[in-house]
Amino acid sequence: MSTIAIILNGESKEIPAGTTVAGLLVIADALGQPVAVVVNENIVRPDQRDSCILHNEDQVEILVFAGGG
Amino acid sequence: MNALRLGSYTFSSRLILGTGKFSSTSAMIEAVRASGTQLVTVALRRFNREQAEDDLFGPLSEIEGLTLMPNTSGAATAKEAVKAAHISRELSGSPFIKVEIHPNPHHLMPDPIETYEACKILAAEGFIVMPYIPADPVLAKRLEEVGCSSVMPLGSAIGSGQGLSTAEMVKIIIRESSIPVIVDAGLRSPSEACAAMEMGCEAVLVNSAVAVARNPAAMASAFAKAVEAGFEARNAGLMPRSGAAVATSPLTSFLGAAS
Repeated sequence: MSTIAIILNGESKEIPAGTTVAGLLVIADALGQPVAVVVNENIVRPDQRDSCILHNEDQVEILVFAGGG
Repeated sequence: MNALRLGSYTFSSRLILGTGKFSSTSAMIEAVRASGTQLVTVALRRFNREQAEDDLFGPLSEIEGLTLMPNTSGAATAKEAVKAAHISRELSGSPFIKVEIHPNPHHLMPDPIETYEACKILAAEGFIVMPYIPADPVLAKRLEEVGCSSVMPLGSAIGSGQGLSTAEMVKIIIRESSIPVIVDAGLRSPSEACAAMEMGCEAVLVNSAVAVARNPAAMASAFAKAVEAGFEARNAGLMPRSGAAVATSPLTSFLGAAS
C-alpha cells in the first residue's frame, strides 16, 4: 500500500494514500470526539470529512477545547 | 432589568468563569456548577489522545444553560485571532468570542492594535465580540464603535492576583461606555469582584482565583455572592462620601441635657 506523509498537529505522520479526513480521525483515535479539523488553513466541517481526501505534505490540525481563561 | 445583555443573549448570572488551571476536569465542573455561571471561557488546543480526558466540551455541554465563550489565547496577531475565532465557532457553535491577543508571554498584556483589528473583522462577521483589553478608555470607545458587545479591561496582569489596580481607568471606561464593561483578569478575592460591580461593571470574569483556591467550588460560590452583592448595592445607591463625621444618632436632647 502506498503512503503519503502529512504534518499532523505539527508532527510528520505517514498515512495510507487516499485517506480522507474521516479516515484520519479513525487513525488518530479521535472519531466521535468533538474536534475541529483544519487542512492547509481551511476548516473541514463534519459533513465534508468523508469526501475530503488528504494529500502529501498537507498540514492538518485536529483541535479540541481545553481549559482557558 | 437585572439581566446581563451581551449581543442578543441575556444572562441572570453576572459572573463569567474561566476554565483554565484547575487541578482536574471534575474540580472545574464542580466550580462551574457552584458559581451558577452561565458563560464560561475555553481555549483551543491540539488534540492529544493521551490527554483526551482533558477535553472539556463533553463535560461542559452536560451543564444546562451554559454558553461557551472560546478565547483566542495563543494568538499574537489579529490574523491568528480571527483564524482561532473561526475554528472555535465551528467547534462550539457559539457566537461568543473572547478576543485575547498577547504577544509577550512574560507580562501577557493585550496588544491594543492587533486586538482592535481583530475585533473590527469579527464584529462585522456577526460574532459577539468580547475583547480583553488594557484599561484604556480611548481604545474601549473605539472598540465599541466597531461593534464589540462589551469591553473587558484587565484589573491587573493575568493570574497575578494583584486585584483592581486599574480601578480609576476602569471607572472612566464605565462612564464613557454604552456597552457592558467587564473586569477580566487579576482579581484575587471576592471583595475585589464586589468592588468592581459597585463601581459599575456589568459582570466580572474570574479564573485563577477560583481555580487555584484550596476549595475551588467554595471560592466560586463566594465570588458569585460577591458579584451579586456588588450589583445589588450599586442599584440600591451608595451613600455619598463625606470629609467629616455625620452623626447617625441625635446629638441633642440627651438624657439630662439642657434643652
